Amino acid sequence: MPFAATPLVAGETYETALRFGEEAAAELAPLAEPSAQAACLRAQWDRIAALGWPGIAVAEEEGGAGGDLAELAALLCGAGRTGLALPLATACGVVPALLSGHPLLADAASGSARIAAILPGATQDPGEEALRRQPNGALHGAAVGIEAPPAPTHVVAFVEGDAPALLLLRADAPGMELVASLRVDGRLAYDIRCRGAVPEAVLAEGDEARRRVETARDLGALLACVEGVSAMGALIEQTVAYLNQRVQFGAPLATQQALRHRVADMYVEYENLRGITAAALRAATTEDVLPWRAIAFAKLRLGIAGREVAESAIQCHGGMGMTEELPAIRLCKRLLMAEFEHGGRVFQARRLLAA
Amino acid sequence: MAEPDYDAFREEVRRFALAHCPPEIREVVASYRKLSRKIWAPWQRILHAHGWGAPSWPKEYGGTGWDARQRVIFDEVMAECDCPPQYHHGLRHLGPVIIEFGTEEQKQRFLPGILDGSDWWCQGYSEPGAGSDLASLRTAARREGDHYIVDGQKTWTSHAHEADWMYTLVRTSKEEKKQQGISLLLVKLDSPGITIRPIRTIDGWHHVNEVFLDNVRVPVENRIGEEGKGWTYGKFLLERERLGGANIAPHRMALERVRDLVRTELAGPAREEERGLLLHRLLEAEAELLGAAELGRESVQAVMDGKPLGLLPSVVKLSTSVTMQSISQVALDAVGSRLASRFRRVEGEGPNANPPGLEWVQNYMYARVRTIYGGSSEVQKNVIARQLFGN
Ligand SMILES: Cc1cc2nc3c(=O)[nH]c(=O)nc-3n(C[C@H](O)[C@H](O)[C@H](O)COP(=O)(O)OP(=O)(O)OC[C@H]3O[C@@H](n4cnc5c(N)ncnc54)[C@H](O)[C@@H]3O)c2cc1C
Repeated sequence: MPFAATPLVAGETYETALRFGEEAAAELAPLAEPSAQAACLRAQWDRIAALGWPGIAVAEEEGGAGGDLAELAALLCGAGRTGLALPLATACGVVPALLSGHPLLADAASGSARIAAILPGATQDPGEEALRRQPNGALHGAAVGIEAPPAPTHVVAFVEGDAPALLLLRADAPGMELVASLRVDGRLAYDIRCRGAVPEAVLAEGDEARRRVETARDLGALLACVEGVSAMGALIEQTVAYLNQRVQFGAPLATQQALRHRVADMYVEYENLRGITAAALRAATTEDVLPWRAIAFAKLRLGIAGREVAESAIQCHGGMGMTEELPAIRLCKRLLMAEFEHGGRVFQARRLLAA
Repeated sequence: MAEPDYDAFREEVRRFALAHCPPEIREVVASYRKLSRKIWAPWQRILHAHGWGAPSWPKEYGGTGWDARQRVIFDEVMAECDCPPQYHHGLRHLGPVIIEFGTEEQKQRFLPGILDGSDWWCQGYSEPGAGSDLASLRTAARREGDHYIVDGQKTWTSHAHEADWMYTLVRTSKEEKKQQGISLLLVKLDSPGITIRPIRTIDGWHHVNEVFLDNVRVPVENRIGEEGKGWTYGKFLLERERLGGANIAPHRMALERVRDLVRTELAGPAREEERGLLLHRLLEAEAELLGAAELGRESVQAVMDGKPLGLLPSVVKLSTSVTMQSISQVALDAVGSRLASRFRRVEGEGPNANPPGLEWVQNYMYARVRTIYGGSSEVQKNVIARQLFGN
């Protein structure tokens, strides 16, 4: 029996997310036009909203389903196997953590509010400035490539400065401009530019604001690892299946030791990432505060292992490895992108070195 | 059953280690010098006298009855206190085989000496013509009454020069499949007909030997299990050998030492960038070790639950061996230009002839073997691939 990966967190939520992700991927695959893909993602978002996913780990009294971190992880495990192109870690983990205590959280939990989050470390194009607040309270500056649900209704932004703050803006407020792109992994991202936009609310200020964005980002990083483990497991299965079936020189490629060893290397990377992620997830579910060091190390590993495994899988697929829609290759693109989410490899390394 | 108080346990182990592990032993561990029987054996005796001689064995054979978490804590504290990791050949390799497959007499005869460290064991598997392809081994044992007469040659035999006994795989018959007809024998190394010759290795340490067997008489009662079934026992043992890497604690200590080395060797603002580069590489190694530590924990748990280990031994061996090599590379990059150029004094041999810190260079050289012995990386990948591809 060829390899079959075991999910980090199994169960009903995992199964549901897996089925959903498989259907969603099949729906997207034939669409070549970016606009058609974006429209498809928009419709898929409404379906996950109807399933209650954005509120899966939001407390019941705040309008959510009241699930715990393990439940949320199960969702990411299931969806991760399929490379689902919706921002689950952000929408179901990061954003609720940022909105904690604010009435908009209920709308975020129901999926009717679709929120883009600009956190410390968000990138700008050359010559542009990061978001800053003017004395009159209006926001100026830009953040580009912000992963978000389709057609955001709101933006949550952290601004540095003398008085750091976490601010809430309407996406259609005067002075706001959002431009959509598709990322390498087919997810939607937005370039967000503020020219005198006025925030609707201050969610947190000072140290509280900083603490909240850091916790939210670490949660996002942990979920990205969970998702990455799943994606990697599925990718190895699919690479094995491909090599077992593809015949060259009169025999399946799976008989070639060079390729077998490359796949064995992928598996070792996978197991190692699974181990470090399982340990971080266990610590996160049993301790009161998120174990930032464990998460930072896991995210560092995801960056390194993700690239290694994605590049190997592409190589093992030969020319097919260069094609767009093959499910295995979509997983590769997902892994390559995961490295940059919620604090990339370089960010995590600097943070650990500084500690 | 109530959960043990793990914090109290950790404290108890630490107190014991600091109070009872002799400073001269901890000094050798801390300075990364080569461990030998002289270092290991007294420590094993002390551990055994305290009832901690064999944490990995079942309680009725002298085990401690700890759970998996306590086992991991024990390993961690031992490493943190610079106590040597317990010598593996008896405790981790042969012991479990005797417990699983040995007769009552063999258990009585051999387990106590392993427990208290009075018997020293080495492994005679490899031969000049049988390395990765171990089953092609040719050292032969023929039956003569109640003895086997053993003829042949073993090689790469670590610690043979300081051991009392060698467990060895020999051919007792020629069968169709080369894995058949192999038996596991326990050979006393002072038996007539045995010659041991040192092999010089690139690290400059003496640990491996050639062992020649010329008409050596071995009593039949020193055969473990059935005649001809040695491959099964040998593989059982090899699996445990590969799990050696499951104890990540010494590796993490090694990493901390190299981190200190980088900070002191490359101190000062002028070397800040170099230092940052090397520290960054160590961070990546640390992340790998954290992943491996979890797999180690899973392995210990699986063994304790009597569950199959699956691919874990191969995965742990593959990944920790490479990580340890990376760590040793960082150390070499820190001191290499200063010390690799002074590897051996032309004159004035002796313990103090080498510049201090040369162990880092030796260690780097030695670390190359981690991907070669105990089933090379290529062999482990073959094992993994066979499972993944289903053939
Ligand atoms: C320091 C040291 C200590 C040791 N201690 C012991 C000991 O105590 N007891 C003991 O019995 N042995 C011991 N060994 C021996 C060790 O286990 C062997 O060296 C090892 O099994 C490899 O065998 P070999 O050296 O014959 O290499 P070979 O088998 O000749 O391999 C040479 C190279 O070819 C690769 N290779 C071999 N087969 C394949 C394949 N099918 N596919 C792809 N690549 C392949 C190997 O990975 C290796 O890179 C020790 C060795 C050393 C160096």
